[in-house]
Amino acid sequence: MTGSGGHSLQRRLLVTMALGFVILLMLISALLWTYARASANRPHDLLLAGTALSILERISVGPDGATVDLPNSAMEILSLNPVDRVLYRVFVPGGRNLTGAADLPAPSDLAPSAEPVLFEDAYGGAQFRFVIQSRQLSTAEGRQWFAVQIGQTVELRNAEQLSFFATSLVGLAGLSLIGLGFVWVAIRTSLAPLRQVAADLAQREPADLGRVVGTPPREIKGLFDAINGFIERLGRNRALTETFIADVAHQTRTSLSAMQGHLSLAVDADDPAQMRSRLIKADRQATRTVRLTNQLLANAMVIHRSDRSNLEPVALRPLVRDILAEMLRDSRMRHISLSFLDGGIEAGQDMILGDAVSIREALRNLIENAVRHGPPDNTVTISLEATDTELVLKVEDAGPGIAEADLARATQRFTSLSENSMGSGLGLSIVKAVTDGHGADLSLGRSSLGGLGVTLIFKRLLAVLFLVLCPVWSGTPAPADTLVIHSATDTPAMQPLIEAFESRMAEVDVEYVEFQTLDLYRAMLAEADTARPDVVISSAMDLQVDLVNRGLALRTQLSVQTAPPSWAVWRSELFGFTFEPAVVVYDTRAISKEELPVSHRELATFVRDNEERFRGRIGAYDIAQSGIGYLYATQDSLQGPQSLRLFEVLGRADLKTYCCTSEMVEATARGELAFAFNAIGSYAAAQVASEPNLGLHFFDDYNLVMTRTAFIPKEARQAELGARFIEFLLSREGQRIIADKTPLLPLIREGEQQSLIGREIQARLGTFLPIRLTPGLLTYLDELKRNDFMSAWETSLRR
Amino acid sequence: MRMLLVEDNEDLAETILDRLRAEGHSVDHERDGNEANELLRHFKFDIVLLDVNLPGRSGYEVLRSLRNRSDETPVIILTARSQIDDRVIGLDAGADDYMIKPVDFRELSARCRVLARRRAGAASNIFTAGALVFDRAAKQAKIDGRDAQLRAREIQLLEIMIDNMGRMLTKEDVADRLYSFEEAPSLNAVEQLVTRLRRKLEGTPLVIKTARGLGYIAYLAEDD
Repeated sequence: MTGSGGHSLQRRLLVTMALGFVILLMLISALLWTYARASANRPHDLLLAGTALSILERISVGPDGATVDLPNSAMEILSLNPVDRVLYRVFVPGGRNLTGAADLPAPSDLAPSAEPVLFEDAYGGAQFRFVIQSRQLSTAEGRQWFAVQIGQTVELRNAEQLSFFATSLVGLAGLSLIGLGFVWVAIRTSLAPLRQVAADLAQREPADLGRVVGTPPREIKGLFDAINGFIERLGRNRALTETFIADVAHQTRTSLSAMQGHLSLAVDADDPAQMRSRLIKADRQATRTVRLTNQLLANAMVIHRSDRSNLEPVALRPLVRDILAEMLRDSRMRHISLSFLDGGIEAGQDMILGDAVSIREALRNLIENAVRHGPPDNTVTISLEATDTELVLKVEDAGPGIAEADLARATQRFTSLSENSMGSGLGLSIVKAVTDGHGADLSLGRSSLGGLGVTLIFKRLLAVLFLVLCPVWSGTPAPADTLVIHSATDTPAMQPLIEAFESRMAEVDVEYVEFQTLDLYRAMLAEADTARPDVVISSAMDLQVDLVNRGLALRTQLSVQTAPPSWAVWRSELFGFTFEPAVVVYDTRAISKEELPVSHRELATFVRDNEERFRGRIGAYDIAQSGIGYLYATQDSLQGPQSLRLFEVLGRADLKTYCCTSEMVEATARGELAFAFNAIGSYAAAQVASEPNLGLHFFDDYNLVMTRTAFIPKEARQAELGARFIEFLLSREGQRIIADKTPLLPLIREGEQQSLIGREIQARLGTFLPIRLTPGLLTYLDELKRNDFMSAWETSLRR
Repeated sequence: MRMLLVEDNEDLAETILDRLRAEGHSVDHERDGNEANELLRHFKFDIVLLDVNLPGRSGYEVLRSLRNRSDETPVIILTARSQIDDRVIGLDAGADDYMIKPVDFRELSARCRVLARRRAGAASNIFTAGALVFDRAAKQAKIDGRDAQLRAREIQLLEIMIDNMGRMLTKEDVADRLYSFEEAPSLNAVEQLVTRLRRKLEGTPLVIKTARGLGYIAYLAEDD
């Protein structure tokens, strides 16, 4: 019952049930999907609303109008979500934008409300979840609404929704499987009667044609009855076959004994005339026996060949012509008027799937029938006609034909309808076996010539079109790949890395273009720039985070040997690859190691106490000019109020500001500065190594650490190659090259540190405070916030 | 006629031999394929009756080596197998006719006569059938001693029909042999020619039978 050919009832039932379960699962899934979304949204919406509220609270109305002081906590809250990008704006509904992205979408029917309004919308090619919350404030023009809109991409929500959905679905699918298991058991039980029948039939002797006994369930009673009906018919058929064999035996024996009788009479005959007449009868009997034997063999052969696999494409017209030409050689055919009408069938129109041997036998029998049963000058017409789908082969004669009433019986074996024409009764049954074997139709009728008309209708074999598919080779040799890197890092610092990468990747050229951090940032923002780089590297972490937050970066799955720390990766798009602490560079001639303060708080006190000694001899970044300087300064300000005090103290001591670390270190080396504050450790260390009078100093409370970051822009032409490059930067080899051959410091330190600063870092590991790659860095990029911070700084420096 | 029967069944061979000898032919009998082959190498027969299943080598092999020696002796294959493949192999190997056992002796005699006539017609210049005498060299046919008044085309057709006696010729076959390329044979003309020739041959045993849609076959009525 589970044979490979047919379908299994059990499987069909199971499949139907499974289909039912699947439909059910799909319905539940639809509900579940919505529910999962709601569940995924809830905590994130709370965070969004909380953030909106915290910004809303910082909107104030001053003499210059409304302003907002973006709280760092706001972005930090959203940074709890490690994946999604963040957008915000503060605006007057229906009026001006205070800060942030002015073009954020808002519902058209938005009415200012103190309650958070949550909605999803597309922005910049990505789906965002937005919250808008408003608040009324008194202004010079009266009470006015102010609104905060925060948007967050929905990647994490999607992921959580999917995970929640998948988990639930797995459970449901499990339940469904258990259900299907029960169904299976039920089917097995229900089908038991069928197996019983199968066992009964399997164990039977071939001769046993008794009924299958048993009380079948209602559903399979039909099958039961059918099997029993079939057994009955089989029994009848066997009886028929037995009769056939008996008939064959009877006819053959009768023929032979008649012949034998005639012959023995002839042997015993005294009178030659009598003997001759006996012999003539014996001869006639022999002819009859020969024909009977021939037809029995033909019948057996045709049935044996009726297996459909014997069929092959055969052109019917030439086949019929050959058979006729061959038959015409027979001297018995000389007075028969034979015609073949092929109705102008063209070559190729007469193809059928057939067995030439069987068709020959059928046609031969039909013509022999006509010759045998008809008058000696019988007319036999064979015609072949083609219709669109069929080939009609007709054999008609002018003989006596078959009476209407006998037509149905004519194709049965041993129903020779005429007793005196030496018919064996096999001729037409052979034809029937042939047409059955060809899936052709056989019909008997009266011919237009007055005798029997036999029509065989074969199915035409239609021309088969062979589609020859020529494989098209469009391969052109790949041009040497060029990896374009736009970077805000000194070329000499990157050179060893690039050379190592080039030597590792044959056929790859690296084009390295150096930028200042802000220029690079602006270039990336300039839309129409056609020459997009494949990798963007910059030390300005906040600017890089901003670019990535704008959706400019391509998600990259890196297969790195070494796992970078989580603070140095964001969204699988932005990757830090160096570890660069802020450091104090001092002139050992001006100040001793012991004298140097151990914390930021003490630094302020130390400078205030030695204001005259250090006047004009302290250096720091010009934060208006240097992105790094601004980053260090803002991050310092997040560490506590002492940083503002420090600015004031430094300002009173006539702080000198510089564009870059190298100038600060050089000024210190020349003795112009006693010490420089917040220099980039890596560059400074490289310079200090060659200056005997310089020292490096770290604090004990905290030391800010920034990392150089790289990302692949969405429009990168060699994104794959870019990914290989970033992988290389983070690989053991890349990190070792950073440590040994560049002034930079590796993100991942392994083994003994060779450099002075490396050992220093190793010794103070707990004090390093890495600046995290999160949307939190966006706070100080806010225009209002930046202006506030800059003016506070300028004021402190008394400029 | 001098005939060779190659047949390993003694009883069957005996009946055929008796029959053919009774008809006045001189018939040799071989039971083995190899021996038959040897015999055929050295002696000429008018007709060979060849069984397929033979000890030594098969009838087909004997036939093939015969034809490989460019020996055009007419051969009738006798076979007990009734399937087409055997026939094709037999005819392809160069047999002139075949018959399936059990063989009707009258039919066998008739076929032998046809073959003998065909061969005789081709081999000698004078073809005689009852009242008809055809002189191939003189291009002249006589019926009852009188010139049958055949035109050149009719003589040509008669020659073709005698050469292919007992064999089915399509109208196209006849036209191809009758006309040269330039003459652009018309099938209608062939039909008319056959009708004319048939009329002129009335009273002779040579019959040109038309099978509509198939072609023409010539035989000698006296054979019946």
